[in-house]
Amino acid sequence: MIELKRDSLVFSFPEVHPEARLEIEFERTLRIPDDGKDHFLPPGLGSFPLKHVDDFAGGVPGKWLEHGGVMLPMHQAEAMWIMFDSSHISGHGAEYPFAVKIAAGKIDAVTGEQWTNGLHGVPQDYLVIPEQPWLDGFCVEKGVIRQFVAMPLGRGYTAEEQITGAAEFGGLQIIAYPMKREAFERRFPKRRDAERAMEVSLCMPNMSKMDMGLAPGGRMIQEICEDPFDFNDWDRSRSSRCFMHIANSLVWRAITGEAPPTVPPTAEAYTSAGLPWFDYYAEGAEALEGSDILKQLKSVIQLGREKRETPVPENGSVAPERVVRLGDRRPRSQVREGKF
Amino acid sequence: MMKHFGEYIRQQREKLRENNPEFSLRKIAAKIDVEPSFLSKVERGEQPPPSEAKIALLAEALGEDADVLLALAGKVSSDLQKVIRQRPKLFAELIREMKDMPDHAVLRLVREVRDGKW
Repeated sequence: MIELKRDSLVFSFPEVHPEARLEIEFERTLRIPDDGKDHFLPPGLGSFPLKHVDDFAGGVPGKWLEHGGVMLPMHQAEAMWIMFDSSHISGHGAEYPFAVKIAAGKIDAVTGEQWTNGLHGVPQDYLVIPEQPWLDGFCVEKGVIRQFVAMPLGRGYTAEEQITGAAEFGGLQIIAYPMKREAFERRFPKRRDAERAMEVSLCMPNMSKMDMGLAPGGRMIQEICEDPFDFNDWDRSRSSRCFMHIANSLVWRAITGEAPPTVPPTAEAYTSAGLPWFDYYAEGAEALEGSDILKQLKSVIQLGREKRETPVPENGSVAPERVVRLGDRRPRSQVREGKF
Repeated sequence: MMKHFGEYIRQQREKLRENNPEFSLRKIAAKIDVEPSFLSKVERGEQPPPSEAKIALLAEALGEDADVLLALAGKVSSDLQKVIRQRPKLFAELIREMKDMPDHAVLRLVREVRDGKW
């Protein structure tokens, strides 16, 4: 089952293990410069608000209701990253593992293939949690992603439109599979010693302009970890999935009556304020090769130049002086946050 | 019997500190931006629990549930208060009706995110 708790999606599989829980948050962040350089990880600036689409049935497009799920507001050219946190299982000294597929406009963010409901080991089309603490974009090369950047659906920038030629789905799609309990207990046996740590119009919004999709932005250093477990360890008979609709921030208030979050600072302003960027290295983890399909994608800036459009308001380069290195298997006390 | 707020905080913090010095009184006090002496008094029950905002920071620092800590402190989070104030009669009745229900029955009322046809 999936619940919405304080702007997090909480996946739980009590039928597999009473504590098998995975929390997913969608973080606001800076849009990194799209200048051909590989950038460090930008900070989290707080999470996007999430709402059940069913609660706003009178204000959202019919197809959103058909898809079900939740919705969140994004400004045009705003970036996001996704944070994963799985439950620590008392007595086993481990977090419960999950295989998670993430797609944007039903394009798999790891392989660039079109969405299918199952898991595929070769090529691996999923992330392994907790090995993968976060995902910031499309996996275009080994160790490099292109940042998720929101663009209005129908203008040709999104990964979905570049790959399929159609602007049909938009949003984000997520499906999570737990590890089989038997595999979890075999790999992480119970320890003998007890665990110590137990914007805005008064009329109805124009529906055709409210749907957003994710397009590839600037390049960022981020590895997508190869599955260190056996493919058969995943309980592929059990899964929960969620369709995340992205509403243009301009219509969020008209739909929900609530103000959307403010526009994040620019990367330049953030860096000039001396605030930190982040570097993360998962020791021992093998990284997946990037997807050939995703490698062919054009970034928002590249496509904007071809179309003679200005899809993003600015794109100044940065040279961060403060880079905080985050260690392997990020402990709870270690956060990737920026206050601005 | 339910522990008082400070006693619970101290116990949880000390458990974590056994494996990680980041959970010392001084470091946790710095994380939630209070004086160590203040946190120490709260832990010993010599000071009442801090504000809701500080309790939320403390919950984050210790990996605890903020609502549980607020309840131990005899408080209700401001977001819940807002929800109740919007429909006080309805929520008062609901809570009274549910007070003796077993956990599994309450959990059945939890709302799932609906999956549709993609």
